[in-house]
Amino acid sequence: MTTEAARAGTAPGLFTRRATGLVREARTSDALFYNVMWASVALAFAFAWLLYGFFYLGSNMVVAFLIASALGLPGAFLYAMLSQIMPRTGGDYVFNSRSMHPAIGFAGNFSFCFWLAIIYGLYTTYMTTYGFGAFGRMMAGFTGSTGWLDFGNWFSHDYALFITGTVAIVVSAAVFIVGGLRLFLRLQVVTFFIYILGTFLLPVIVGIFQSKTGFAANFNDYAANLGTNNAALHLAASAKHAGFAPTGFGTEITLKSVSVFWYVFGFLYASNYFAGEIRLRKRAHLLSIPGALVVAVVFIGVLFAAYLGVTGYVFNGELGFANPAAYGFTAGAPAYPEIMAIASGSWVWGAIMIVGFALGLLIWLPQTMLLISRSMFAWSFDRIMPARLSYVDSRTHSPVIAIAIVTVLAIGSTAIYAFTDWFSTLAVLLGLSFTLLITAIGGILLPYRQRAMVDNSPYARRIAGIPVVSLVASLSVVGFGLAIAVLLWDPGSGSSLSANPGKLWLGLIVLGAGLAIYFVSSAIRRRQGIDLSLAYRELPPE
Amino acid sequence: MPLFRRHRAGSGNGGLRLYYASDIHGTEVLWRKFLHAPAVYGARVIVMGGDVTGKAVIPLVEEGDAVVAEVFGERERAATPEERAELEHRIRSNGMYPHVMAATDVERVAALTEDERETWFAGVMRETFDRWMALADERLTDPEVRCFVMPGNDDPPGVDTAIERATRVEACDERVVGFGAYRMLSLGYSNLTPFNSPRELDEDELYTRVEAMATEIDDQSTCIFNLHVPPYDSQLDSAPELDEDLTVVTAAGQPKMIPVGSTAVRELIERFQPVLALHGHVHESRGATRIGRTLCINPGSDYHTGRISGVLVHLNRDRADYQFVIG
Repeated sequence: MTTEAARAGTAPGLFTRRATGLVREARTSDALFYNVMWASVALAFAFAWLLYGFFYLGSNMVVAFLIASALGLPGAFLYAMLSQIMPRTGGDYVFNSRSMHPAIGFAGNFSFCFWLAIIYGLYTTYMTTYGFGAFGRMMAGFTGSTGWLDFGNWFSHDYALFITGTVAIVVSAAVFIVGGLRLFLRLQVVTFFIYILGTFLLPVIVGIFQSKTGFAANFNDYAANLGTNNAALHLAASAKHAGFAPTGFGTEITLKSVSVFWYVFGFLYASNYFAGEIRLRKRAHLLSIPGALVVAVVFIGVLFAAYLGVTGYVFNGELGFANPAAYGFTAGAPAYPEIMAIASGSWVWGAIMIVGFALGLLIWLPQTMLLISRSMFAWSFDRIMPARLSYVDSRTHSPVIAIAIVTVLAIGSTAIYAFTDWFSTLAVLLGLSFTLLITAIGGILLPYRQRAMVDNSPYARRIAGIPVVSLVASLSVVGFGLAIAVLLWDPGSGSSLSANPGKLWLGLIVLGAGLAIYFVSSAIRRRQGIDLSLAYRELPPE
Repeated sequence: MPLFRRHRAGSGNGGLRLYYASDIHGTEVLWRKFLHAPAVYGARVIVMGGDVTGKAVIPLVEEGDAVVAEVFGERERAATPEERAELEHRIRSNGMYPHVMAATDVERVAALTEDERETWFAGVMRETFDRWMALADERLTDPEVRCFVMPGNDDPPGVDTAIERATRVEACDERVVGFGAYRMLSLGYSNLTPFNSPRELDEDELYTRVEAMATEIDDQSTCIFNLHVPPYDSQLDSAPELDEDLTVVTAAGQPKMIPVGSTAVRELIERFQPVLALHGHVHESRGATRIGRTLCINPGSDYHTGRISGVLVHLNRDRADYQFVIG
C-alpha cells in the first residue's frame, strides 16, 4: 500500500504505482541541517564582537540581530516557495533565468559566485588568525610555553596568512580530486559535530557557570602567561587612552550594526533538492528554510546570553579601542572562541572551542568549492561556458577543471586579504545581496511570466487578486532592499557610500560583466550554429 | 577551445537536428510541448525515450454534482464544470492522472493487491495515452518530421501497442530505424531497480538484446543508441541511494549519490562506439559525457515543474554536438 493518505489513516487521496523515483520525501530535518551548515552563524557572531569596538560602540547588538533576522524572514519564505515551485533545479540561476531573462539569471549567479570567490580569502585568513594563531596563543596562555606563543604569533604575519590559507585551499581541492564528494561528506559530518560542540555547546556551558569576575581573573592569569601582568587593567587603560568611554545604546548605531548580522542571511537558503517527485506537501521547504533562520536566531540568541554574561559590552568595547600589545595579545585582539576558552579556564575546553571554530571555517572552503563548481556546471551545460568546464574525472567523479579554477581564484582571494586592505570583513555582503534582491524581483514577476508553473504549484493562491508568491517576493524586496540600504549607509560594512563608494560600482560592474559574458557567449555560439536562447525558450503548453 | 570553434557545417548545412526528451511521466503539458519541438527548435527528428506514463492517480471522488480530491495533501472541491476542468488540468500538469470515481470504488481500489492495482493503473493510463497518440496525429502535420516514441521501464504493458497503432508516431523499441544517413537502435528496458517496475531485465539479457540490434548495423560511425538506461558510472546515472524502505540515504544532510546505470550498456557503448547514445531514466543526472568517441547524453527530467528537459543534437556525418534545452 503506497497511498500517501492511507499512510495517514484517512481515505485514499492518491494512488501510486510501482515506478522508479517514487521515493519518500527526505526528512525536513535533513534540509534544515543542510541550510544551517551553510549559514556561518559562529563566524558572524565572531565578526560582531571583533567589529563592535571599532564600528558599533553603543549598539544594542541583540536588537540589531533581531532586525537582521526580520529583514531576512520574507526572503526565507520566498526561497522556500521557489524551491517548491521549481524543485531540484538549483538556485537563483534557474529561478531568475525563468522569471526574467537568461542573461539576468546568469549575471546574478555569476555575481554571486564572484563574491563567493572573493570571500574565500576572508575565511582562510580568519581560519589562520583565529584558528591556528589563536590555538597557539591559547596553549601558551594556559601553559606559559614560549614555543606555543611563537607558534601562534607566526600566523599573524602576512605571508603566514597566505601560506596557511593556500595550503587549506589546496587540501580542500585535494579532498574532491582524490576522494570525491563521498570523502567530503564524511568529513562534513565529523566537522559538524566538533563545530557545534566547540562554537555553541561548550561556550554556552561556560556562560552558565562562569561569572564576569571569574573571567577577569582567568584573563589576568592567561595574559600573565603571555608576559603581561594585570592585563585587565592595562586593557582598560589602553582603551581609555585611545578614547574609549562606556556609552548607552543608540538607535542609529544599532541600525547600522544590522549589517554585521546580515552575514548570516546570504547563506541560509541552500536546500532546494529535497522534494519528492510528487509534490505532496509544502511543509518541508517551509520548515527547512525559514526553520534554519529560526535555528540561527536561537543559536546566536543563546550565544549572546552566554557571552555577554561572561564579558559584557564594556569589555568588548575596550577590546576594539585598546592596543592589543598593551594587554599581552601582541598578535591581535582575541575572537569569541578564544575569549570563551579563557573563561573556561581549561586548555582542553579551549582547544575544542578554537578547533571547532576553525573547522567550521575550514569545511566552508570545500562546501563553497562545491557550490561554485555546480554553478559552473550549469553555465557549461547551457553552453554559455565551454563544455570542458563540466569535465568530470571518471575515477573520482570530481569536476576537476571547475575545481582547479575555483582553487586559483581562492588563492588569489587569499593573497588579496593577506597582503592588501582592498576588502574589509563585510565588504562582500553588498555583492551577494544584489543577487538576493534580483531573485526577489524575479519572484514578483514569476506568477506573471510563468503563470502555469505557479498556478500548478501549491502556491497558486491569490490575495486580493495578487499572487501570494508576488506578495511574499515584494516583502523580500523590502527586506533585501533595506539590508542593502544599511550596507550602503554603515561605514563598518566596508561598502558604504560615504567611506567605500567604489564597492557599489564594483558590485554593479560585476553584474554588468555577467551580462556582457552572456551576450558575447551568445554571439559566439550563434556562429557555431547554437542558439543559446533556445535553452530557455518556452514551448507552447497547449 | 570549443567555445571559439566555428562549425564548418551545422544542422542547416547538410546536417540533421534531432530533439530528444525522456521521462515525462504522464505529464500532459509536457507531451504537448514535445509535439511543438519541431516548429520551435527546428528539429527534423524528435525522440521520446521512454517513461511516458505517470506514477500516480488522484481520485476525483463524486459528491453529488461535485467532485472532491486531495491535491498536495489539501482537500479541494470542484462544483462547477469550470472548476472541475481547472482541477483536472492542474493534476495533469503535475504528472498525475485525475480519475473520477465513486467513494466505494476508491475503497475497492485501495483494497486491491499490489498486482491487481497495477492492472487497474494500466487501464487508467492507456485511456490518456491513446488520447496523446491522437493528439500527435493531429499536431504533427509536417511530413518531413519523424517522431519516435518508445516505452521505458516504468511504462505498463499496452503502451507499446498504442504506439504501434498511431499514424504519425513511429515505434522504435527493440528495432533499428533509419532517418537521413543515420540508423538508430532502441531499447526501453532498464536494468533491475529497487522499484520492481514493469520493464526490467538483468544485465546479461539487456546486453544480448542490444547486441543483436547493433550487429545489424554495418557503420557504427552513423549509428545512434537510444537506450533508456544510461551506462554505468558515467556521470549520467547518479541517483540517490535508497534504503530497503525506499527512503533516500543522506549524509550530512545531502542525498548520498551512487551510480545506478547499466554495466551492459556501458560495455556495449565501449565495444560498438556509436556516434551518439541517448539516455533517460535517471532524472537527476542531466549531463553529457564521452565514452571513447561516443557522445552520451542524458537530458534529465524535471517533469513535475511543467518544463520539459530535452537536448538538441546537431548531427553532421560522424560528428555530434549538443545543446540542452528546457522548454
